[in-house]
Amino acid sequence: MPNDALGGQLDPLILATIAEEPAHGYAMLQRLKQRSGGTFDLAEGTVYPALHRLERDGLLTSSWSTESGRRRRIYRITKAGHSALETRRTEWRIFANAMEAVFG
Amino acid sequence: MTWLESLGAELSARGVPPRDRDLIVLELNDHIKCEPGCDDRLGDPRELAVKFADELATSRARRSALYAFLALALTAVALATSQLAIEAAGGYPGFTNGISLLLFFPALVGIFFAPQVALVTGSLAALRAIRRRRTPRLPAAEIGLITRRARIALLAGFGTVAGLWLYLANFATRFPGWYLSLMGGLSVAAAVALAWAYRDLRRAQTIVSASPGAAGDVYDDVPLIGWRWLRNRPWRLGLAGSLIVGVGATAVATHAERSLQEGLQRGLIEGLGCAIGFTLLGRSVGLFSNRVADPQLANSRLDDQPDG
Repeated sequence: MPNDALGGQLDPLILATIAEEPAHGYAMLQRLKQRSGGTFDLAEGTVYPALHRLERDGLLTSSWSTESGRRRRIYRITKAGHSALETRRTEWRIFANAMEAVFG
Repeated sequence: MTWLESLGAELSARGVPPRDRDLIVLELNDHIKCEPGCDDRLGDPRELAVKFADELATSRARRSALYAFLALALTAVALATSQLAIEAAGGYPGFTNGISLLLFFPALVGIFFAPQVALVTGSLAALRAIRRRRTPRLPAAEIGLITRRARIALLAGFGTVAGLWLYLANFATRFPGWYLSLMGGLSVAAAVALAWAYRDLRRAQTIVSASPGAAGDVYDDVPLIGWRWLRNRPWRLGLAGSLIVGVGATAVATHAERSLQEGLQRGLIEGLGCAIGFTLLGRSVGLFSNRVADPQLANSRLDDQPDG
């Protein structure tokens, strides 16, 4: 699925996936794909600028570890990230309920 | 050339700082090692580098504008202290009582005019950075406007500090030691803060953004002055601003000096200074509307543009 089709929902999807458990970029993408039943099979490279942006905005934090002899960046959600995620979740539910009501 | 080497080269070509570039490549290297052969799913390295550079340029430009504002705030404290403490230091020494008029007049320009340029351009840079804080990718032209404003503000800040130093040097024999020490310390602290902010700004300016879109102008930053009759004729804003500053300075100086003649002199100098500053720097810092040629754009606002 092209990232554009997500209509600005990439950031909350990343936050929701990492809120479940800290993850590196590849693991986060796999988890997202798995939880969406394969629907969110994103262009993988473009997720990294979003991860970096969320970290700059203070919604994620990251640390480096060494795994099988190579450096790995692990992302964790922050308190501000949880709060932002909750806001987006509420907004999405209102939107989805309204859509459902209209579609019937 | 491997996918990662291409990405590294593209990031370098866009001026992404080596430390950021190396960390991005290291992270993507881990991704590729997780599933060998997945390079094709990562997309075009050039497009990815452009995205990284656009977002990094946006965030660094905003940050440098805010750092510049903080450094200028410290400079303002130094300048204000120099004026507030002068009575306790024996009062104004009188401009003919210094070492040389060659020191006095440049000092006057630094102390009176440079802070006004710094205040206007530094505030506009910070205002734009704050207003657009939620936009992940600003147009390259807008990033250029923010960094230009911050650069001019910082240079004016350096001018202010230089003016203070010249003033202290000119009247070094007239002021007590405590005043010279206090002002020397504060102005050195301001100079260090300005240099630090300028270094951050120069680094931000090396990152090349390719994001399309207009820079906008002062009418986007201050909606109160967005009237069409001002926007369509930039000189009217310059004239109105100079008149307001001139009349304001006349009123304040007349009250402070209890002399209408003194007030008028000060008001005329301030008003002329404002007009000269507007003419010389107006286009660089977005005081002129750059959209008046297109009637449709002239009536639009920057916020109407899609983000990033």
